Amino acid sequence: MNALHFAGLIALTLGAYLVTRRIFLAYKYPLLNPVFLSTLVIIAALKAGGYTLADYQPAKEAMTFLLGPATVALALPLYHNRAVLRNHALPVLIGVIAGSLATMAAALMAGRLLGLGKGVLISLGPKSVTVPIAVEISRLAGGEPTLTAAFVVATGMIGSILGPFALSLSRVKNPVARGLALGTVSHGQGTAVALLEGETAGAMGGVAMAIAALLTALIAPYYLPLFLP
Amino acid sequence: MTSRFFSIAWQILLLWLVFRCGTYLVALLHLALPGNVAGMLLMFALLASGVVKPARIEAGGGFLLKHFAFFFIPISVGLMAFGGLMRESGLALLGILVLSAAVGVVVTGVSVQFLHARSSR
Repeated sequence: MNALHFAGLIALTLGAYLVTRRIFLAYKYPLLNPVFLSTLVIIAALKAGGYTLADYQPAKEAMTFLLGPATVALALPLYHNRAVLRNHALPVLIGVIAGSLATMAAALMAGRLLGLGKGVLISLGPKSVTVPIAVEISRLAGGEPTLTAAFVVATGMIGSILGPFALSLSRVKNPVARGLALGTVSHGQGTAVALLEGETAGAMGGVAMAIAALLTALIAPYYLPLFLP
Repeated sequence: MTSRFFSIAWQILLLWLVFRCGTYLVALLHLALPGNVAGMLLMFALLASGVVKPARIEAGGGFLLKHFAFFFIPISVGLMAFGGLMRESGLALLGILVLSAAVGVVVTGVSVQFLHARSSR
């Protein structure tokens, strides 16, 4: 992998992002989610050019370098919305806990109904929490960490596209509720969509992500076995 | 223009330092949290206690948050490696992920909206 390829892959990713972001901001339609569209374009381009995922890896490392500080920056909208947390701590906590438990139960029950093996079921369990935690939970519970990482990323995508629809269908308009719902189910990616909806929703996405991560790590060892064959 | 660029860069460096502290704390205390989430909570504590004024990180933080979605593009490209699994049992897995995401989103959204309205009265 030479420097030219490396720069080209970064340019491809940046270009796809800038164009799809424009499209999304012009229409604000959930299916036009910039992460979804860019990913499709990039995978198609990589396949067409005969590249493998391994070729893309160095560019990925370089581009996700700032994800850590970006997540830390979520403290800002959280700080601006601290009154929400102070005044509505209980609804926030109850909502995130209920959603986390419900999404895990739904995934495992549906998976069992469809006859998935125990390993795949365990790997599905932590799909709604951010990758570094999900992978660790899966490994400790006897799942397959790489499979879990794929489920987490897919859930991030699905929730951030489908979530806004599902919320609007069920008449959830409150930005606090929308942000929490997106962050609970789709971690950082859901939070990214919540941020596009507004600052309050974005702040709540970050809160939900943190609570869901902590809760799932604590209860998964006891909760997941309830749904296993 | 250039001074704005430097203040953004400087502030991102500051956020990065807090991120490293979060990662270090998690390892030190064996917490069940990723370093970036711990860093977010640490940054919130710094802001809430008044140690760091929000204006000190507003330009850099605002820039990163504006483009937060960008970071998930290179991560999502990783799904490319699961083409085989998707061909085998992709439809079942997709159905499960869609159903469970919808259930979670609606449960959290509806319950928070209901409880929030009640606690606002």
